[in-house]
Amino acid sequence: MSTHAQAPAALPMTKAAAEKKYPAKMPRHGNASVYRTVVIGLLAIAVLAPVGLIIYQSFLSAAFFSPRAKFGLDAYRYVFTDRNFYKALGTTAVFSFGMVAIAVPLGGLLAFLITRTDIKGKRLLEILVLVPMFISSIVLAFGYTVSVGPTGFVSLFIRGLIGFVPWNIYSLPGMILIAGLSHVPHVYLYVSSSMRNLPSDLEEAARTTGASIWQVSRDVTLPMVLPSLIFAASLNILLGFETFGIPLVLGDPNGIMVLTTYIYKLTTLFGTPTYQLMAVVAVVLILITLPLVWAQRKLLKNARKYVAMGGKGARVATLKLGRGGQVIALSIIGFWLFVSVVLPIGGITVRAFVDAWGEGVNLFAQLTFANFDHLLEVPSLVRGIINTVILSVVGGAVAVGIYLMVGLAGHRNWGASNTLLDYIVLLPRALPGLVIGLAFFWVFLFVPLLTPLRPTLISIFVAYVVVGLSYGLRLLQGTLLQVAPELEESARTTGATIGRTWKDVVIPIVRPGLAGAWALIMIIFLREYATGVYLMGAGTEVIGSLMVSLLQTGAMNTIAALSLISVVLTGAGLALALRLGAKIHD
Amino acid sequence: MTELVVNNIQKWLGGLQILKGASFTAERGSIVALLGASGSGKTTLLRCIAGLEQPEIGTIVIGGKTVLDGDKKLALPPEQRNIGLVFQSYALWPHRTVKENVGYGLKLRNVSPTDIGKRVQAILDRMGLGHLADRYPSQLSGGQQQRVAICRALVYEPRVLLLDEPLSNLDAKLREEARYWIRKLILDLQICAILVTHDQGEALAAADNILLLQDGRIVQQGGPQEIYSNPNSFYSADFLGANNIVSGKVQTVDGKSAVIGGNGWSLNGTVREAAGLGQSQDARAVIRVEQIKVSDTPATDGIEMQLDDSIYLGDRWEYRLSRGDFVVKAHGTKRMATGKVWAQIPQESIWVFSGAQK
Repeated sequence: MSTHAQAPAALPMTKAAAEKKYPAKMPRHGNASVYRTVVIGLLAIAVLAPVGLIIYQSFLSAAFFSPRAKFGLDAYRYVFTDRNFYKALGTTAVFSFGMVAIAVPLGGLLAFLITRTDIKGKRLLEILVLVPMFISSIVLAFGYTVSVGPTGFVSLFIRGLIGFVPWNIYSLPGMILIAGLSHVPHVYLYVSSSMRNLPSDLEEAARTTGASIWQVSRDVTLPMVLPSLIFAASLNILLGFETFGIPLVLGDPNGIMVLTTYIYKLTTLFGTPTYQLMAVVAVVLILITLPLVWAQRKLLKNARKYVAMGGKGARVATLKLGRGGQVIALSIIGFWLFVSVVLPIGGITVRAFVDAWGEGVNLFAQLTFANFDHLLEVPSLVRGIINTVILSVVGGAVAVGIYLMVGLAGHRNWGASNTLLDYIVLLPRALPGLVIGLAFFWVFLFVPLLTPLRPTLISIFVAYVVVGLSYGLRLLQGTLLQVAPELEESARTTGATIGRTWKDVVIPIVRPGLAGAWALIMIIFLREYATGVYLMGAGTEVIGSLMVSLLQTGAMNTIAALSLISVVLTGAGLALALRLGAKIHD
Repeated sequence: MTELVVNNIQKWLGGLQILKGASFTAERGSIVALLGASGSGKTTLLRCIAGLEQPEIGTIVIGGKTVLDGDKKLALPPEQRNIGLVFQSYALWPHRTVKENVGYGLKLRNVSPTDIGKRVQAILDRMGLGHLADRYPSQLSGGQQQRVAICRALVYEPRVLLLDEPLSNLDAKLREEARYWIRKLILDLQICAILVTHDQGEALAAADNILLLQDGRIVQQGGPQEIYSNPNSFYSADFLGANNIVSGKVQTVDGKSAVIGGNGWSLNGTVREAAGLGQSQDARAVIRVEQIKVSDTPATDGIEMQLDDSIYLGDRWEYRLSRGDFVVKAHGTKRMATGKVWAQIPQESIWVFSGAQK
């Protein structure tokens, strides 16, 4: 025992001694190190430049291009003495944690029902459950406004029945409830994959020792999926801090502000853009989210370790629900789907085809295409639709190409450049789309060479590529890792350089995965609304950001029509993704 | 003609040294087997030769060209080493037909398409795969995939052919055939081949020269007969063959012969490793199972032992013998009744080593 106790103390010594003896590593020739360095370097510039500019701007007393701009902490002083800032900060925290409190238990329950029980219609449910994730939250929020808002269709119907509306979605609890319900898919996604990987012999072992189904769920299943539940919770806190659409639509009318809407409102507050104040709040936001991303990364590593303990190809035995159980389980999922998909999307669909409604108005008599006719008459709206489609379809394909290049640069790579890549990819996840858009807007103003590109779609595309970086790169890296190393090594020993190997072996093998990734990136770009808010200009409108600016004018007819178009486009993208066999469950 | 020179290869992984100075040479028209238990470093050594791993110290020369020099920090990538490697999993590219898989090496060497077609067809015909040229790997059986992998590594006539456990994914009967024709092919084509295996039968049957690896070192090398019948250490003696290990104490040592014994028995053996063999020290003896003859009639040079059981193995019988704490297995052709038997063990077949664990 005494030798055992001494071992940890002795270990660092021997390790240090071993490292001393360890001869210098051989250089790796023919490993495309120039390509890797250039690509990772360019990516680092694309990600770090905007962030650097935000930090630089936050220490100035005026906009960075203004001749009056001086270094100083004035902006910080203003923000940190503003009562509204603290209020927004507090609201953001309550909002995020509240959202987690709703989304995590519900997402965990859905994951359990769909992966571990013999619930009916599993194949369909697996897809339906993810739908809210693919719809932009501004569309969802607007959908709730028109269905259960103070004068929404459902609210009016209820008032007709009982004389009053028993809820108010324009409140913090309302926002939290809606955000919580719409973030259930994010929890479901992670928890279900860890439940799928949980070998059922562990549960069966517990059953044979005499535990009941519910004891097994509590004592075996829950602890095994706990890491993924914690991960999902931390992810949702992050998403809560970055959320923009729901607080803008539901909170703003009653003056409820979170940090993102606080940034957005700073513009209108002073009449002129107060870049330095926006920058300060963005810096604060990054300082909160970056540690969260960091923690998540650690959690994910641990969660993977946990999963790796299970046998591979583990058989999943499903729990028999029985007739009563089926009814209860389907009712839970059905009710959730009704509230988080049918209510908002149904509301949008109805609203898009009516012009006026109210108490005693027969909706069927009001059906009209006028909203769409009007939409087609406004050039900027038509351009917005075309631009959105171009950005998603063409931009999505180019983005997949870029992510592939980055993915290859990091594929079986060692050393400093790989560590750098790891950290660069983390950064965009800590940045809300609104802030990334703002930062790129500044970059395109700041760098003289780039200024001519600002009024083109390229500026929005570059920002989108950074917004989608973490997700897209993870998709691509996952696909690349499926190529067995021997397939690449055998090409090398046959005489192919690393470039030839990528071209002739790696890329042809991952091609089906690339098509799926393209469809998923397309959806991400379709639903994006926050990034374009500042970047968008005449000629470069996109649907989501148009909706944000239309909200200020209250053009509800137009927003409804745009929302429906956005939902239809997303649906088409999702259908394409499923058709191409995209792994939406990864 | 020497095609491959490997000199003092040392490799670390983190703080752990996994190759500790391996050196050997290999000639054209011969097969060198790297034999060892898992973790002995044999596959790592092969991957170092292929350029898939980079050792920190050592030199490797392939076909007269230095591909690795630790002092000059020279390490050519795999594609510049002119080698062929057959992977354990075969690693055929799933998106290419057999023809395209085999022809890829020629395409990379800028051979004209008509020549590629001819050479690919010629080698496929030679291996009896001519009719499968347009199939995809997933449509082939394991044995066919293995032959395609060998075709792919051979078609561009590399200086050295490296085979990483090429037979381990075949079933037992196919394996015996494969080791025969692989040997024949390599001798016919006069190639220099390095075969990594953990299967002693494979190494003994296929190789001209066997390197036995233990813990990142080559502990013994020699021809199959040499390495089987003349082991220089307990590890070599124990690794090959089916063995009886006998533990006892040294009673007397006299040059090459030693007597070891235990509770109620003693054996005259041959000293294989003199170090650590002193009077009344622990000793271990290795006796190949096939060296023990058992008879149920008294033999003057035999040891009287107790037959505990006879076990039927199909082609032979296995006898379980004991005398005190001296317990051995032996083989014979007939069933014998349990009881008193006599075991004849030639003195030169009782290899005595020190009892200290290394």
